[in-house]
Amino acid sequence: MRTISLIDRAVPALLSLCAAFAVWAADTPLIGREAPDFSLRAMGGDNTRLSEARGQVVVLAFFGSRCNTCRAQLAELDGVRRTYGPAGLVVYGVSIDDSADDARGFATSVGVGFPMLADPGKAVGREYAIDRLPTLVIVDRAGKVRYVHRDPKSHGEPVYLRELRRLLDE
Amino acid sequence: MSATVTSEFHMSIAPAPIGFLSRLWLPVLLACTLCGVVRAQDAPAPAPAPAENRALDSEVQDLKKDVVDLNKELFILEEELLFPANTQVAVFVSMDVGEFFALDSVQLKLDDKEVSNYLYTPREADALLKGGVQRIYVGNLKTGPHELVAFFAGKGPNARDYRRGATLKFEKSVGAKYLELRISDRQRKAQPEFEIKDWE
Repeated sequence: MRTISLIDRAVPALLSLCAAFAVWAADTPLIGREAPDFSLRAMGGDNTRLSEARGQVVVLAFFGSRCNTCRAQLAELDGVRRTYGPAGLVVYGVSIDDSADDARGFATSVGVGFPMLADPGKAVGREYAIDRLPTLVIVDRAGKVRYVHRDPKSHGEPVYLRELRRLLDE
Repeated sequence: MSATVTSEFHMSIAPAPIGFLSRLWLPVLLACTLCGVVRAQDAPAPAPAPAENRALDSEVQDLKKDVVDLNKELFILEEELLFPANTQVAVFVSMDVGEFFALDSVQLKLDDKEVSNYLYTPREADALLKGGVQRIYVGNLKTGPHELVAFFAGKGPNARDYRRGATLKFEKSVGAKYLELRISDRQRKAQPEFEIKDWE
């Protein structure tokens, strides 16, 4: 009787643990790996290559012009960049819009102070396995992907701020 | 119509049988032993003498050098395997002066197939202007006639958008082939000049 009740409790717990691990593994194929390098055209600026920011903590904020959550997140990131920029934080917005005009219009309306890069061919988006927006990818000073936030609900400022502070201290 | 789902968890703690307690001694003993080992490892070791530190430092430096050398050898081996000398073709980019042209991108087509599309950052363009030579493409080609087309985009005279192409038909023989895309200024016409040089 006791054995049966233990199994009854253990099996669902194990299954949910496996499911959680599967979700985590699917969500974080990049974590711990070197961030794929890219060079993209900035909207209204110079071309930007990720590897040139080596030695700094980089936040890649993938966004689309039809994503409302992205707008709020980019504005929030601009504030973070102003605070932590002098400590070595670099933020790049990466638009994966098909239309360059839409991306440019959105970038202008958001009005952030960091480079907004266009990825119309979505080559970079594919390399970073972007399947939902907004997505934040945090790269450490050594050029390794350390954190990926895909769930907008986990985008609460304190979550990634804590991570950024930790990386900036390294 | 509403559905109500209720779930209850009953936890029952049955009294442990006497045999169960008697079987506990082995895990407890193992845990104690492990704790002892961990504590022994955590205990501060006597500080090494400065001479030992220096020796250790030099050993670490030697190891680092070995790793760098090994990495270099592996890179060369990989290149030789992927691009054997008899089929290899490499394309380089160089810039001279750059008064009339600010390089933005180079697109390469080899036998009508795009093989490279490179966007230059200001830092990279600056490095080229300072005399740097960039290998933009390396690949394999079979012997015979081939065609290379390069498109250069950037800002031309008076900061206007500028796009030009250059074509080279070449014969690939046995042995490596090196081609150079050269961007220079034609002072007389106040225009940039693009040419592809075949290094025999």
